[in-house]
Amino acid sequence: MNYALHLMIFMSIYGIVAASLNIVSGYCGLLTMAQASYFAVGCYTYALATTKSGMDFIPASLLGMVIAGLMSLAISVPAWRLRGDSFVLISLAVQQMLFSLFQNWTSPNSEPGTWSNLTNGTFGLTNIPKPSFFGMQLTDIESTAALAFGALIVCMLLSRVLLRSPWSRVLQSMRDDELVTRGMGKNVRLAKIQAIAISCAMAAFGGALYASYVNYVDPTIASLDESMAVLCMVLVGGTGNFRGPIVGAIVLLAIPELLRFCAMPDTIASNLRLLIYGLILILMMHFRPQGLAGSYRIS
Amino acid sequence: MIAPTTTNTPQRLQRNLLRASGDQTSVAQVAPAESRPALSISNLTKSYGGQVVLDDLSVGLQQGEIVLLRGDNGAGKTTLINILTGNLEPDAGEIDIAVDQSTESFRFPRKWWSSLNPFQHFTPERLAKAGVARMWQDVRLLPSLDLSDNVAVASPEQIGENPLWAFLKPNAWRRQERSISQATQLVLADLGIAELSNKSPDELSLGQSKRVAIARAVQSGARILFLDEPLSGLDARGMHEVLSLLESLSSSGKITIVIIEHIFNISHIMKIATKVWTLREGKIFTERPEDVRRERSCDTDFQHIIDRLAGDAGAVVNLPLVNGATLTQVAPAHVQDLDIIFEVQDLVVHRGRRLVIGEIADDGIRGLSFKIARGQIAILHAPNGWGKTTLLEAIAGLLPVSSGKILVNNRPVDKMRPWQRSSAGLSLLRARDNFFATLTVKESLEIANNSDTESLSCFHKKRVSDLSGGERQRVLTNSVLGNRHLTIGLLDEPFSALDPKRVEELTETIMAKLDLAGILIAIPSTVTGS
Repeated sequence: MNYALHLMIFMSIYGIVAASLNIVSGYCGLLTMAQASYFAVGCYTYALATTKSGMDFIPASLLGMVIAGLMSLAISVPAWRLRGDSFVLISLAVQQMLFSLFQNWTSPNSEPGTWSNLTNGTFGLTNIPKPSFFGMQLTDIESTAALAFGALIVCMLLSRVLLRSPWSRVLQSMRDDELVTRGMGKNVRLAKIQAIAISCAMAAFGGALYASYVNYVDPTIASLDESMAVLCMVLVGGTGNFRGPIVGAIVLLAIPELLRFCAMPDTIASNLRLLIYGLILILMMHFRPQGLAGSYRIS
Repeated sequence: MIAPTTTNTPQRLQRNLLRASGDQTSVAQVAPAESRPALSISNLTKSYGGQVVLDDLSVGLQQGEIVLLRGDNGAGKTTLINILTGNLEPDAGEIDIAVDQSTESFRFPRKWWSSLNPFQHFTPERLAKAGVARMWQDVRLLPSLDLSDNVAVASPEQIGENPLWAFLKPNAWRRQERSISQATQLVLADLGIAELSNKSPDELSLGQSKRVAIARAVQSGARILFLDEPLSGLDARGMHEVLSLLESLSSSGKITIVIIEHIFNISHIMKIATKVWTLREGKIFTERPEDVRRERSCDTDFQHIIDRLAGDAGAVVNLPLVNGATLTQVAPAHVQDLDIIFEVQDLVVHRGRRLVIGEIADDGIRGLSFKIARGQIAILHAPNGWGKTTLLEAIAGLLPVSSGKILVNNRPVDKMRPWQRSSAGLSLLRARDNFFATLTVKESLEIANNSDTESLSCFHKKRVSDLSGGERQRVLTNSVLGNRHLTIGLLDEPFSALDPKRVEELTETIMAKLDLAGILIAIPSTVTGS
């Protein structure tokens, strides 16, 4: 039972992150590689805010969302002028910068979490408290799973409202033809800043959930592999509508779990997992480029 | 040709227009406000790399006018329209736009400090807010939005465009959205395509999409419309639709229209134009439509080209095809024995599930068949939406063929890949998306397997994207007809955007190829005037 709940928590967290990436990649047509680093911003902010100043879940995750939203300017301002391959490279650069920041903001002489040793480098931050609301802590896995699933539902509903509003229509027309959209008097620069900030803040919220569940963060969660994994979820699930990414997150998280039941040694299974990921992506790109449940094809 | 405004289209659009501008007067009371200036340009200068395109140009525009902007290829029509819609910054000059009660002025060159202010840039969105809109030559509807959204997205001042209000004021934006969507439905109903409102723009004919693009510009609250070739590629029906829409818009007296149009369609625009601007040597000469109409009487039209191709002793045969299309086969006098080099037998093409080429007969689907001999030119004139482009692309192998045979030199090519067909002698010039923007002219000629790399050597080092519309068309036709193996050249609307001199040159180029090959040209069915 715990195993199923654990899986549900992970699916919810990655569902949120994939849904956040969908706003940028699916609706703005900007393929970003930096999503995991904003996820990590949420993780670290939550970890520091709870361990150092004893904040509750809600203010700590809100703080993470605000910081990630502000830091999203690093990719949204370049996106004013760049799109396609150049934007991918910019987002890759931001991803690497944030990753090395998490890895290197450390000093052996001071306590983890102080200004000179903010992230504690590769050792990461430990003892992150379970989510607590107004002093009440959720210690058992059932309530954490309920929180994660509830959070997924709320994120889905919010993104559904957003992605059916006139705002998303502007994003889609900007994705289709930026010059025509500008010619209709739309402020596309503002729309890009808004979309990327909302997306990064949502990823950071996923990060806060992750940190509160795993109780430990280290820089690997901000690695490029993580960004790619989230991107795969979006590509496999499909972009351009709000359910695609959730489908992708569920499918891609379920596959390695299914392999567990094949009675294979772990060493083989973990390699096989990568092989299957690759195979799925290739087959998807070939036979269903819009994704399992998607309505727009990222080119 | 333009019927008086009999449908309810004009009134409704006018009503929308009045509602948008907050004007309560009824349509009948609106008199054209001839005297009020809408746009004034003074001392506008623009040059590219030392070549002066616009030279100290000054001109003014009154509200409610319909202006035809004409000029030879490369005269700077597109440059001027790009500047006036904020897509390009001029080197020097002044632009004043007066719409409704507000006035926007732009002075160039800009002072260095004004370039520091990010809100003062000369951009398309700023000019759009000032009331200027543009219809692009290739229409550019938004492919992933449906038709009603394509029009609705243009509405100004939408509450729900701010994501915060989209969350916090759902009722307000939903209410506004309902009224926008009602207005959109009315507009689409006026254009006669209400039933297509949930369809994608790909399913429209060209004439319909041009009208949707104009409606979109009106929806955005624009008072000055720049239309880049609104009639090109349209058949008689499409032209009528677009012209009556334009006439009804301008008759409200609130909308000012500037139209760029190329030579074949100028005579149609002259029926509604109130003023003509001729762009020559970087200056604008304003003329009265009456004078231009007189001058037009001796002009080129497509019949002249056919007559020239045929010569005195040539043969012209009109072969009726399905659904109102005609294939005019022109054989110059020296083509005596008909050596058939290209044959289409019983061709049926579907796009998705829709039957495009072929017609439904009692005993199943009857396909399209025709033959072209060496030295012959076949001109396919068909209405918009008939499937001219589909036919040519299917012949060239870019689209799958459902059934039927295509023979080049009596060799079936329908099982071949597009590149194999090209070596077999098929060469296609598409009507759009037909050039590699970043290649130089020499590289484009070489990549097209062109035997004659010496021609056009004056352009060789230029990029194709830097050429003017007419020059580019010339390079493209040359590269297509220069295919080393050319047996049959397929040209999709090759004469669009050309001035009379270029039409002449292109006709020469085509005739020079006829010794070895046959040519199939597709054009919309009005151009012949038949």
